[in-house]
Amino acid sequence: MPRTLLRISSTALLALLTVSCRQSALTTNASMAGELLVVGPWEIPSLDPLGSGSQFMRMQVTETLVDAASDGTVLPGLAAKWSTSPDGLEWKFELRQGVRFHDGSLLTAASALPSLKRALAEPGSLALAPIERLDASGNAIVVQLRQPFSPLPALFAHSSTQILAPSSFGPSGEVFSVVGTGPYRVVSIARPQSFIVAAFDGWRGGVPPIRHATYLSVSRAETRALMAESGQADLVFGLDPASLSRLRANPHVTVEAVSIPRTIALKVDSGKPCFQDVRTRRAISLAIDRPRIARAILRDPEMAATQLFPPTLAGWHNPRLAPLATDPALARKLLADAGWRKTSLGPLSLGGACSSMELLTFVDRPELPLLSAVIQEQLRQVGLHVEVNIGNAGDIPFGHRAGTLTMGLMARNYGITPDPLVTLVGDFGERGGDWGAMNWRSPEIESLFHALVRSNGADQSLPRSRVAEILQSELPVIPIAWYRQTVTVGTRVSGVSLDPFERSYRLTGIRWAGKTGDSR
Amino acid sequence: MGRKDGGQPLTVARIIVRRLVQALLVSLMVSTLSFVMMRALPGDAAMRVAAARYGHDLVTARAADAVRAELKLDRPVASALFAWWGDVLRLDLGTSAVTAAPVVDEVSHQLGYTIRLALAAMGIALLAGPLLGVLCGLWPGSAFDQTWRALAAAIRAVPPFILGLLLIIAFSVEMAALPAAGTMDSTSLVLPAITLAVGLTAGLIRVTRDALKSVTESGYFAFARTKGLSLSEALVRHGLRNAAAPVTAYVGVQLAFLIEGVVAVETLFAWPGIGHALVHAIYARDVPMIQGTVMAMAILFIGLSALADLAILAIDPRRR
Amino acid sequence: MTMPSVGILNDGAATPKRMTPWQWVGLAILALIGFFGLVAPLIGGDPLIQDLDHVMIKPCLSSPLGTDHLGRSMFARLGHAARLSLLLAALSVLTAAIPGALLGVAAAWRARWTDTALSTIADGVLALPGLLLIVLLTTFAPGKFWPFYVGLSLALWVEYFRVVRAASQTLLRSSPVEASRLLGFGPAYVVRRHLLPELIPVLRTLMTFGAATSVLSLAALGLVGVGLRPPTPELGTMMIELLPHYQEAPWLIAEPIFVLLLAVTGLALVAGERELR
Repeated sequence: MPRTLLRISSTALLALLTVSCRQSALTTNASMAGELLVVGPWEIPSLDPLGSGSQFMRMQVTETLVDAASDGTVLPGLAAKWSTSPDGLEWKFELRQGVRFHDGSLLTAASALPSLKRALAEPGSLALAPIERLDASGNAIVVQLRQPFSPLPALFAHSSTQILAPSSFGPSGEVFSVVGTGPYRVVSIARPQSFIVAAFDGWRGGVPPIRHATYLSVSRAETRALMAESGQADLVFGLDPASLSRLRANPHVTVEAVSIPRTIALKVDSGKPCFQDVRTRRAISLAIDRPRIARAILRDPEMAATQLFPPTLAGWHNPRLAPLATDPALARKLLADAGWRKTSLGPLSLGGACSSMELLTFVDRPELPLLSAVIQEQLRQVGLHVEVNIGNAGDIPFGHRAGTLTMGLMARNYGITPDPLVTLVGDFGERGGDWGAMNWRSPEIESLFHALVRSNGADQSLPRSRVAEILQSELPVIPIAWYRQTVTVGTRVSGVSLDPFERSYRLTGIRWAGKTGDSR
Repeated sequence: MGRKDGGQPLTVARIIVRRLVQALLVSLMVSTLSFVMMRALPGDAAMRVAAARYGHDLVTARAADAVRAELKLDRPVASALFAWWGDVLRLDLGTSAVTAAPVVDEVSHQLGYTIRLALAAMGIALLAGPLLGVLCGLWPGSAFDQTWRALAAAIRAVPPFILGLLLIIAFSVEMAALPAAGTMDSTSLVLPAITLAVGLTAGLIRVTRDALKSVTESGYFAFARTKGLSLSEALVRHGLRNAAAPVTAYVGVQLAFLIEGVVAVETLFAWPGIGHALVHAIYARDVPMIQGTVMAMAILFIGLSALADLAILAIDPRRR
Repeated sequence: MTMPSVGILNDGAATPKRMTPWQWVGLAILALIGFFGLVAPLIGGDPLIQDLDHVMIKPCLSSPLGTDHLGRSMFARLGHAARLSLLLAALSVLTAAIPGALLGVAAAWRARWTDTALSTIADGVLALPGLLLIVLLTTFAPGKFWPFYVGLSLALWVEYFRVVRAASQTLLRSSPVEASRLLGFGPAYVVRRHLLPELIPVLRTLMTFGAATSVLSLAALGLVGVGLRPPTPELGTMMIELLPHYQEAPWLIAEPIFVLLLAVTGLALVAGERELR
């Protein structure tokens, strides 16, 4: 009897062990020497370019028609050149010849079209332009516009317009594999944590020094920092300011940083009674102590936002604007003027409501939860009670569309496409944007955008300055701090550079450093 | 220790029936809570799932309604609950509100990782714990015994997360001997397994020590020694067999601690198991995944408990 | 979550338990923490007020335990956190112990089917590790207090139920109880005179363990990120907040770890030798 039981138990245990080992066979194969490990906080729940597909573009698996240089000028990507008709309503993007997808098929206008048509459905991307239709004609993509739109090429640099081979799509249009044109091809994907890429032999740019790479998503900032510190990861993105200080002092790690046109800002629902009055929004802005935040939390005094556009957003940053100030006493006065009264419990309320407001933020960027705690306290000092809810990055767009969002702390990248105009139109135009204004309209800004979109080379500085002025005065989105993109680099590699538009990790430029390349 | 059922002899059949009933009960409990969650949480759950499946911007009202029917949100509560239970018992756990993949697929993939981790941890604990415990028990009251017992008690009070961090700092950062996180290396399992095993080991040391101490102090052991058996012979013949019972019982009882520790350890080490998935599902308010992962962990727990029960039955003749 | 060996033997006689020296030490530690939790919030100031000009100050006269990364007083925060943990522990243990014990006695006393029904429910609850139950409940109200309280109580009551039931079964069949019953004494008398003296020491052990479990569970969930919502000071959430600063200000994260260790050690010491955790 006991022997039988022992046999049963041990067989069961063995079965469990075999089942579990089989599952993880995929990822253990990848542990080869000479493989680059890139770690970031972003997960890959889906392969869809409209979803988290940007990670594949960053790992240079997919490419877009248009590329961007570090200074924002648009460069040819998969499109060798483009031209527009005299009336500005038709654009032609000539594709490069002889480019192959990872499955061997040729890149043609016809094979590129399905990807672009999908991107048209996404409001944050191609749909921002007044595109009437997309066609393939010869080896060119022809774009018909309803009205002239000068920033059009910049739109085709966005990750949602990445070109996938027709074999990537299933029968109902869903993406079930990522077959691109980039220097690296996908070897395996373990959703939502990681995927492995290998150099694609048929790439037009030759063979890059790094032959294999893995992207691993690690959600805890502490774990990412430890992976950088221990030298396990070669590139680590998304570290908090304290860990960065620690790593800067570490001889085995280099920290690269670049100022990018990303602003940490508070998005509020201007449609809710709580924030309808511009005085309330100004009061909130006055309550926030940006210089101290930049110094003590971000450890970078230059990052204290004086306006929405950072200095790196040349042309839009308005140096003549009076900087956003800190004045809690004035904030209290403005709140009182706007009708906020003290309740018996302590916090102020507006007409009986708004005595507790919800602030949504997410952990993907570790600065955000930190700043949300500081903002919560600084607002408490002027009498406003805020409850912080930390969730997913998707909660804010969701809340925007459902109308349930009250306040959201985000880090908006105004440099998603090389021309910020497109992003701004999406954020502050008619319908507001997921990461822009909510239930706020300014007819003047809309006409300014209108003019800017049509202008072609004419002097744009006046309208742009005016846009900055309006946003500074109206504060539909309250700026908190500017941003420096950072990456920690291990000793195994060199040649790492940061893309200020966060479109690519520039793996092709990275080399193994000296003799230590193949050992771990 | 008395019999668990209070009077009825334990048999294999009884154990299996009991554990199956438990599995059924826990499935009903978790699915009911998830059902309530689906309806009680703010925001349109159907819209969430539909948006994940078709893409935020491609989702139509018709697609959302189809999902609503799937989630049984369009029915009155009572009939919906029964239908929900039916689905769960047929292992139709729906699709994730984040990845739009079937929950069963995701969970079974993650389960593999968790099982590896749990078995590795149990292996380490079952080797180190009784070994140290036997040594402590042979010389009770000695400096060796006292130090180990104090250490064990102290370690039990430290949360696994902190313990894991200390281990990473020591072995990955300072000594660069082991990877800090992830599953890429063949040695990636070591640190998470040790972290999970430490708490278990600490308890096992104590239990083995106590059990062995009571054996060496017992009459029959003394008798065996006077009969002429050497220490090791007496131990093997009488001691270990009798000490094995409470040790196995202890492991069975500590499985809950193991399962709970899995959540913290997987989160810290970015180990893609069910615990890790659960925490993510909570952040995303992904109710189908929350239900799936919690149920998987509970079933795993019950399965391991059943194995422990069977092992006790095999070892302890008094139970039959 | 654990099933300690029942110290009660078959003869139903009361087993006197005198406090060992180690138990007194444990009690002293708990008293110290309790005192700290009571007094620190009163004299330590506001745990929420931030001072971004004085972040991560070393412990000194004006700030006995230093300030955290947002310039908040660690003294005040730890005091509140200790109070919170102990309060939650005490509350959930009591809410678990009293109904659990009562149901245990009822199951031992009553007819077969009550016993089976209660035992089956208890088994079902036992099948779900407590932390998972709490985590499920926190999804309803992320960051609020009640999921922890309700979850812990639900997870803990089964202990008391099973132990009390097992003990009561043995006791109720013993000769002294038989005698009392024959003499016509009612249930209340039997409970007071025969059951309570035996059960109380065991319950006391269980309660200290329940308390330790509560304190650790709250911290564990805070560490993983599903704990109490900031800015509420809680040991686990404090640990995770102070983690990035472990090199530049190691005393900061050491403080909540120390308080946690102290609390759990104190409870473990009070529980005494015959524990199985």
